[in-house]
Amino acid sequence: MNLNLKIMALCAILAIYIAMTLLLRKNRISVKYSIVWYFSATLLLLTLLIPGFLEMLTHLTGFVVSSNMIFSFLIVMLIFINISLTVIVSNQSDKIRVLIQEVSILKAKKK
Amino acid sequence: MSERKIIVIIPAYNEEDSIVSTYKKLQDLNEQVDYVIINDGSTDKTAEIIEENNLSCIPLVANLGIGGAVQTGYKYAFENNYDIAIQFDGDGQHDASYIKNIISPIISDEVDMVVGSRFIEGKESSFQSSKARRIGINLISFIIKIATGKKIYDTTSGFRAVNKKVIAEFAHNYPVEYPEPVSTVYLLKKGYRVSEIPVEMNERIAGTSSISTWKSVYYMVNVILSIIIYSLRRYK
Repeated sequence: MNLNLKIMALCAILAIYIAMTLLLRKNRISVKYSIVWYFSATLLLLTLLIPGFLEMLTHLTGFVVSSNMIFSFLIVMLIFINISLTVIVSNQSDKIRVLIQEVSILKAKKK
Repeated sequence: MSERKIIVIIPAYNEEDSIVSTYKKLQDLNEQVDYVIINDGSTDKTAEIIEENNLSCIPLVANLGIGGAVQTGYKYAFENNYDIAIQFDGDGQHDASYIKNIISPIISDEVDMVVGSRFIEGKESSFQSSKARRIGINLISFIIKIATGKKIYDTTSGFRAVNKKVIAEFAHNYPVEYPEPVSTVYLLKKGYRVSEIPVEMNERIAGTSSISTWKSVYYMVNVILSIIIYSLRRYK
């Protein structure tokens, strides 16, 4: 991996760490959902810090070019994040529906 | 009529032109029935008209769609200990004179839910809705037959009556997406008794159907998928 690429990757990793920490501090994201981002950033950091780690992974998974492996992993990861978000949204819309119903009934009763 | 407490649940979304006439038709009945309008966040004058006429209403604090609105009615019926609940559209499509027919199989405890049907063989309502709609309804009907073994002809009819057991069931578990066909499958799968009786329906006085034409294919795919999912679930 050339130096320019490494520096860029490092910037991206730092950006993720900083963004997550800021979001957490402002209470805009819950710890549960920030972990997946910390985890992916850390994984990326490991591939930078350990020489030959990326090549080893590429070889191990049967890819010819490292970039293909990275893209494939990213796509799979994004799909999983997406599915889990869909689950979360479905769950929340159920809860919101119950809330709207109960509040409306209570409010009507109070009149 | 006996001592049974009966409530008519009227979901209403933008029904300013028909809500009062719906109410009046219910008042003209000889039956002793209560009613509750569920105003599903209407954006027209429905809320003002309800207020002016002093109608019994639960205004939802945010729009939920037909399924969520109707379930609110079932929750209300459950909390207030009603014996029979009737679902009755606020848009003038349903004919109040059939309420007596629709609850009689429930009073005699023959079934747990009665669906008012336009399509029962032999006795057909003059208003049948468009051809495309009928094909869709027949397809859903066919799939329900495969999934549950029971033929339900008018799968999308929102004119139905349920007994106390089903009120409790729906207050806690109501399929809020595509409620009419899916709730029928759900009840049949759980071993409840469902039957149909013939009713007449009018063309809507005002408002538009919740199933618009360009969405109908999407609707069909969703309903069929829901029915498959519901028949794959395990019920005790």
